[in-house]
Amino acid sequence: MGKDLASSCRSTVLAKNSAKERDTELLVAVAAGSRRALEELYLGYHRRLARFLSRITPRYENVEEIINDTFMIVWQSAKDFRYASQVSTWIIGIAYRTALKSLRRQKNHSAARSLDDLPEQTIDPTGDTEVQDWLKHGLNQLPMEQRLTLELAYHMGHSLEEIAAITECPVGTVKARMFHAREKLRMYLPTLGGTGSEWTARGG
Amino acid sequence: MKIVPGTGSPVHPDISALIPWYVNGRIGERERRRVDAHLAQCAHCRDELTREQWVYRSMTAETAVEYMPAVSLNRLQARLDGIETGEAADAAAAAKPRRLSMPWQGLMAASVAVIAVALSFLAGDRWLQNRARAAAPPDYHTVTISEPRAPGEAIRAVFSPTITLSELQSILDEAQLRIVSGPTEAGVYSLAAKSRRPVSSSLALLRSHAQVRFAESTTSAPIGPLATP
Repeated sequence: MGKDLASSCRSTVLAKNSAKERDTELLVAVAAGSRRALEELYLGYHRRLARFLSRITPRYENVEEIINDTFMIVWQSAKDFRYASQVSTWIIGIAYRTALKSLRRQKNHSAARSLDDLPEQTIDPTGDTEVQDWLKHGLNQLPMEQRLTLELAYHMGHSLEEIAAITECPVGTVKARMFHAREKLRMYLPTLGGTGSEWTARGG
Repeated sequence: MKIVPGTGSPVHPDISALIPWYVNGRIGERERRRVDAHLAQCAHCRDELTREQWVYRSMTAETAVEYMPAVSLNRLQARLDGIETGEAADAAAAAKPRRLSMPWQGLMAASVAVIAVALSFLAGDRWLQNRARAAAPPDYHTVTISEPRAPGEAIRAVFSPTITLSELQSILDEAQLRIVSGPTEAGVYSLAAKSRRPVSSSLALLRSHAQVRFAESTTSAPIGPLATP
């Protein structure tokens, strides 16, 4: 059993290293002007970025626009990349900043929904769907930087240091954003403040 | 997050700050051991961990909406083509004044232009003759028969351009369908059944939604009238 786990971990690490190497090779080729390499990189990142972006922007058009804007920047800036960070961190960082700009533009066009719009305590605390809806609403109320920090950690599975690199912020700023995001979520989800056993029963 | 009453601060802020990365598995080994040791003796932080694990699981839940990158990639390629064409034109324009700086070069360029215009008239005439002979290609495309079917595809549908992803996902969940390809340039999605629910039933449900502009089975003859926007 222990051997299997160790073997599985080794395989995962090897696969990750291989993916990193391939990303680097592709970016070098993109920097040299290879459209085919850009295409491979695009196809490799599309699903991951689309899932991440679809959580923070509701329309497919916006998701596609942000991804394509990201890869336009990748195409134009690949020759300036110094490989001080991982290629994936660099690409997701570009997507993060592009998304932030896009979300700010959208926010100017639409009035932000406030917590007052939420139905007051009409939630059935035993219904998982309703609880999920509250979580969705709670996430939508967070300031963009805090929401994106939470998404990068939980949805994308990045480490603290990776998020600092992606967002180009000090580690302390990431910690502070995460703290405030979690604190606000806790306040938005008042019925979820029960005991651990309730959570275990609900979440499995 | 467990809060000290009246202070708004976590009971154990150092441990609390580590919990997100403990939950997503990206914490360092030394810190993970520290959190483990603390959790063994702190019920408050165990509660916080349980809540955070629920949020994490909820945020990583799979969605039914899958994006097909082919169309987006085509658009990106078109943008890159446009930039390259623009750059080539700019380069040509930048080079032009230098080449025409001498009078005889200008005359030569004018002669070449006259010849080019004459040739284009000849070519245009020839093209018009050929075009009259050939059957004109249709300037439309259909959403039901022209494209090859995606594996498992049972229905093709077009949704309102204003539909949000959550609305789309909700409709698909309700109709027990999943996207297998699309959207195409024309905005057509290929849908496959997620359960044993009859295609006709899923189709009827799709057509009942105002956000569904078009829905048609690709496995049999059309069933009933088309949905209207």
